[in-house]
Amino acid sequence: MATKSGNATALTVLSPIKNGNLGETSFADITRERCLRLPIHEESPLAKVPNTYLARLFILDNVFYESLPANDSVFNFSDITSIFSDSARKKALPRKDTLKSKYLVFSSNFHGDLDTYLTGVWEKWSYIDHEGTQRDVRHIWEHCVAFDRVTDASSFIAYIKRCQLDASLFFNGSTDDSLQEQLKSLYLKQEFTKFAVEHQGKSASEIQQDFKAFIARVQPENLEGPTWQAGKSTP
Amino acid sequence: MTTNLDLTDIQGNIIKAYGAYNFQKARYLFLRINNGDKGRQFVDAITAKVTTAIPWGKSENGDVAVEKPRVTTNIAFTYSGLEALELPTASLREFPDDFMMGMSKRKDILGDDGPSDPENWDKIWKEKVHIWISINAPDMDALIERYNWVAQQVEASDGGVTLLTGHRGGDDEENLPYQDASVLYDESGNPTPKEHFGYTDGIGDPVFEGQTNVAARVLGRGKLMRDGSWAPLATGEFLLGHVDEAMEYPKTAPSPMLLSRNGTYMVYRKLHENVAAFNRFLDEQSKSFSGSKEMLAAKFAGRWRDNGAPIVNAPDDASKDEWDKAFEAADFAGKKRMLTDFTYNNDLHGAKCPYSAHLRRINPRGSLEYGVKEAYETPGALVNRRRILRRGLPYGAVKDAARDDGNHGIIFMALNADIQRQFEFVQQQWINYANDFKEGNDKEILLGNHDTKHPSKAVLQVEPGSGKPPHFINNIPRLVETRGGDYFFIPSITALKLIAAGMVDPT
Repeated sequence: MATKSGNATALTVLSPIKNGNLGETSFADITRERCLRLPIHEESPLAKVPNTYLARLFILDNVFYESLPANDSVFNFSDITSIFSDSARKKALPRKDTLKSKYLVFSSNFHGDLDTYLTGVWEKWSYIDHEGTQRDVRHIWEHCVAFDRVTDASSFIAYIKRCQLDASLFFNGSTDDSLQEQLKSLYLKQEFTKFAVEHQGKSASEIQQDFKAFIARVQPENLEGPTWQAGKSTP
Repeated sequence: MTTNLDLTDIQGNIIKAYGAYNFQKARYLFLRINNGDKGRQFVDAITAKVTTAIPWGKSENGDVAVEKPRVTTNIAFTYSGLEALELPTASLREFPDDFMMGMSKRKDILGDDGPSDPENWDKIWKEKVHIWISINAPDMDALIERYNWVAQQVEASDGGVTLLTGHRGGDDEENLPYQDASVLYDESGNPTPKEHFGYTDGIGDPVFEGQTNVAARVLGRGKLMRDGSWAPLATGEFLLGHVDEAMEYPKTAPSPMLLSRNGTYMVYRKLHENVAAFNRFLDEQSKSFSGSKEMLAAKFAGRWRDNGAPIVNAPDDASKDEWDKAFEAADFAGKKRMLTDFTYNNDLHGAKCPYSAHLRRINPRGSLEYGVKEAYETPGALVNRRRILRRGLPYGAVKDAARDDGNHGIIFMALNADIQRQFEFVQQQWINYANDFKEGNDKEILLGNHDTKHPSKAVLQVEPGSGKPPHFINNIPRLVETRGGDYFFIPSITALKLIAAGMVDPT
């Protein structure tokens, strides 16, 4: 299974949400609202989890039913039987299936190995929700089946791994570098563009002089900073 | 077999740029319908005078066709206008979302922000605009005569329609009942093809199947074929009810077929030009530019200001002189050809015509293949479905070239079968963004919605290996601002008659 592509990992997690409700709201709907209300861009908890390339959370309500596709060249046998009986046509269609519970789906493409990444999720995932309360990762998974047994990083990792699906076709839309390196590259590219524009037409010696100061300021080797902030979308 | 258009059924403004027929003046009116019945009667009255696309003067076989009229009149409707005319719901619901929403609600797509925000548009755009009527004429007398006639029809509608006021004018008017437009004149009073920044405008509209005299006009204006030849674009890119470049009927056509066939959509935009900012910016940037100021101005647009020479074939001051000599020596057809028949095949890096130049952004011709051999089935694969017919004239006068305010710019109209796929795509992806041009988020230099908070730049490339540095232009100010507009449906003559008679029947 292609869960890895170079140094990138594709993680897909389906955690069953408890059936039932709190008052008149189902656990699935409570969880959905918590997902929808997560802050975005640099405020997103995922921006704080190291090495997240791209991640998403959603609620899987049910599986989709797919009937037989229309067929132009070779007709479906059931289409002929339907001339005589609609029940004969329906019997020939795929069986309809239903999930026993709703699922919280977390999918993430990240740099590095799974244990390190999940430790980061456990430790760094934090945000202030729309009511002003400080939250950690447990708030999203709170109503998932058996999540109450998660007490620390290692039990969180074990829980997520039990919910993990293998990726079958993983296309890594990012480079193979760590997020820190990518953010630094983005920062350098932008700063260098500004430098080039600002120094148009200046003498070689002046450009050289200023370039030294530029390098001292942007510190190309220093991944910690100055750099582009994870999750930030505009300058 | 090529399509023969029903030129008597198509409104004339779709096929003809009236300015090219010496109609130097235009007046645009916007009306509200207050009563369905009376509104339809009004449409009926106007329809009798609507100008069709039939050729004027002698036809190709020498027959005298229709005489050139003294004045033209055309009409179009917003979605809420068609609602007010009580079209059946079954027809209304089949119009596309973009048209139903109208232009102001599409501001995020169009980049109409800051000074271009609908909040800052002419007051008329706060009104319920239902009908657009255009009058084009060679002189003001003919124009005013027809305007007075329209005003009489408004009067005769007995409150059924209202001529809306709220256009900004050149003498601090805020409430004019019309938008005037006119070609600009030179010092001796001769008409010019210029707009307020000094560029030559309106060269090279797309040519599509069914138009007359296609073979002579298609060079550089149709679609670029693999063998380097040009073919007319499919009719359905510009007229509903005809097959388009995907060999399909446009999906934007509501039923019945008679309502949509031979009609199209029009984007009307009043675009203010910040002349002082433009002149200041050009002066300032040309100080550090290695070529002349005129060459830099040509880099912004893709054409030289004086005669419209495409910069890809006249990339610097010296080659411009050569081009001018050849242009001078060429006959009429040769001149036309020099202005339109070119590609960017020999300018893969944008060293001649920058990727952020107006011309290259709105019609990249075959250049989105980036020199990759047969990257697509045809060199124009990414371009042929993004073409628009451009209509319009400058408006207002620059009274003080040192100021940006005042009332002067271009009344711009884009005609296409699918506003979202054609006009909006060009505006959003090619003018205000540059991923397709490998230029990040650099905006088109002249029309881009530049803002001071995130200063814009553009790169004027040089030939790789030439040893010269590229030239950056930076801190580009907002040169063009939107002052109003909306999306309109231009029905065929048949559809106008059906609408007027209340006979649109989608069943």
